[in-house]
Amino acid sequence: MLLRPRREDHLIIGKYTGKIVIGIGFLMVGPLLTSVVFGEWDTVVDFVISISLCMAFGYGTQAVCRTDRDLGWSHGLVVASSSWLVATVIGAMPHWLSGHMGSYLDAMFDVMSGYTTTGLYLMQDLDHIAHGLNMWRHLLTFAGGQGIVVIALTFLFKGAAGAYTVYVGEGKDERLLPNVVQTARAIWLVSLVWLAIGAAALAIAGLALGQDPVRAVLHGLWVYMGAWSTGGFAPQSYNTLYYHSLAYELIAIVVMIAGSFNFALHWAVWTGNRREIRRNVETVSFAITLTLLVLVATFALAKAGVYSDAMVLFRRVFYQLASGHTTTGFSTIYSRAFVTQWGPIGMLATTIAMAIGASACSTAGGIKGIRIGVIAKAFLQDIRKWVSPEHALITERYHHIRDITLSDGLVRSAMTITIAYVLLYALMTLAGVLYGYDFADAVFEGVSAASNTGLSCGVTAPSMPEGLKALYIFAMWLGRLEFMSVFVLGGYAVSLVRGRR
Amino acid sequence: MTVPVSRPWSVGLALTLGILMALVPGHAFASDATGDFEPSSSELVESPAEFDGETIIFTGEVIGEMMTRGDMAWLHLNDDGYRDRNIEEGAPLGGYNSGMAVWIPSGAVPGITHFGDHAHEGDVVRVSGTFNAACPEHGGDMDIHASSLEVVTPGRKVDDPVSPVKVVWAIVLSMVALAAFLADRLRARVEDTKGV
Repeated sequence: MLLRPRREDHLIIGKYTGKIVIGIGFLMVGPLLTSVVFGEWDTVVDFVISISLCMAFGYGTQAVCRTDRDLGWSHGLVVASSSWLVATVIGAMPHWLSGHMGSYLDAMFDVMSGYTTTGLYLMQDLDHIAHGLNMWRHLLTFAGGQGIVVIALTFLFKGAAGAYTVYVGEGKDERLLPNVVQTARAIWLVSLVWLAIGAAALAIAGLALGQDPVRAVLHGLWVYMGAWSTGGFAPQSYNTLYYHSLAYELIAIVVMIAGSFNFALHWAVWTGNRREIRRNVETVSFAITLTLLVLVATFALAKAGVYSDAMVLFRRVFYQLASGHTTTGFSTIYSRAFVTQWGPIGMLATTIAMAIGASACSTAGGIKGIRIGVIAKAFLQDIRKWVSPEHALITERYHHIRDITLSDGLVRSAMTITIAYVLLYALMTLAGVLYGYDFADAVFEGVSAASNTGLSCGVTAPSMPEGLKALYIFAMWLGRLEFMSVFVLGGYAVSLVRGRR
Repeated sequence: MTVPVSRPWSVGLALTLGILMALVPGHAFASDATGDFEPSSSELVESPAEFDGETIIFTGEVIGEMMTRGDMAWLHLNDDGYRDRNIEEGAPLGGYNSGMAVWIPSGAVPGITHFGDHAHEGDVVRVSGTFNAACPEHGGDMDIHASSLEVVTPGRKVDDPVSPVKVVWAIVLSMVALAAFLADRLRARVEDTKGV
């Protein structure tokens, strides 16, 4: 039976959504200061407008929605999904005011792509945008990787017991520490230490590659943010092809693979359990599928004779596949080269890598390694049952921080989300085909959007149909939040109309 | 079968075919007087095999910076809709950036004064060199190994004036935000007082 939400429910949702939007406003202070430093005064004004909007909405909502009640499960899920929408609508303001976007929908596309760490973009003349706007693009994808709710949890929630529900609603469900706010802070700690190391390494590499110090530092920071968040935004339109450097690519690969690991795995290693990297079902699953897909793509491209040298071939294939599998979206080939050089098998291997994605409770998207691991184990368990005596008790275990016995409930849960992803991929493909794109292109781009990867074969462009832009925004949002909280938001909307009093 | 060239209709047919071949973008992309191709970056990306190993001429705005590596350097030339004027200067939206990476002896790069970024419209330069669809020397990059470079149009500093309308909006919205903040604090204080 569907119950119509009461006034108190609206107040709770409004209050916490307001807090998260205030967090977005604070986040814009970084880009604002960047523009001040570089004397980009028009961009400074853009950020003053945008911050004011965030604060007006956030504090206004808080003033209206005053309540002492704590968040329940459904509240948390609705807050997570609705705050991502509101944050996208308001967060798009700096993009739109910059004059580099074709429409407000395009601006929202880029911002949703940033928060969800997808990396597809519609911004035009990227190579001439302000440093402040570039900082905003990368900061929002970095924040999105952490989870914008994690930010709010860290600084604004002040220990609300129900905060865990919002955290789960954002697609994260690992408690690294007993308290969810402490967990959020632990996630920040891990990311900031990686930021210091990763950004410094990239900046030093940039200097060695001939960049001037200021650009080397900025590019190092931004490419780190794009890699760690598995977002894939880069400061130049050439993406990471711009650097023409094996060293730069290697650092980026290390950071994006690290970013795609489960925060629980990071925390285990952080607290001294280094063996976890080799034993964890997600890293094992990732290593197996990445190796297989690299082999397939290498074989296909070797046969096609695109790359003349074996090392060159491996370097290209490994980089694009690692980028696709971690759902980062960095690329060292032109978007259209997937079609004009890589061909159907290369595209298929990349599409499968994107569809699987990386680890749960990380910055990455896609179905996730843990689900692939669980489904593979269940499959093996069934085969063992078939070949064993009828009354034999066959159990299967997998390792994720601790040994876990496979249960029907776990398998069903993994299958449900996997099927939901596959359906979403199919829907986006169908939409692409209906809009007139080739099937292979439509699959590639649809999976890229829904798995929050961001590799493109050329479908995503400012001139693409508005309907497809809106669908991709929806797919990025749904894929990042892993369905549940978006479904609950849908249920909340329905109950407003059809629920019983 | 041979066509007698003396017949007037055959001369007309040959002329028509010649004109059509010159006009229709079939095999040939644009080429200059020396016979070198002058393709755009889009043409290079769409048909890499067609131009692989060919000597081409490429013209574009220098973007970012020159990254010097020993005696050589990387340049990035954009031949997109913002080659001559960018959005900050009021150019209409013209789609994504597009361009090509150029590997050139650093000694062959005479005084480039401006590199394109937010504050500058970069010099427009023309290079001549060999196009590589997947350069074995550079890990499979799609690039041009250029031997010569000439500046076609010098770049310039770009003014990006602050819009007065935006300033008004910024002031109004800042005041609204301040009012919302005060309203929130006031309600919190009232509730605290009631609670006490």
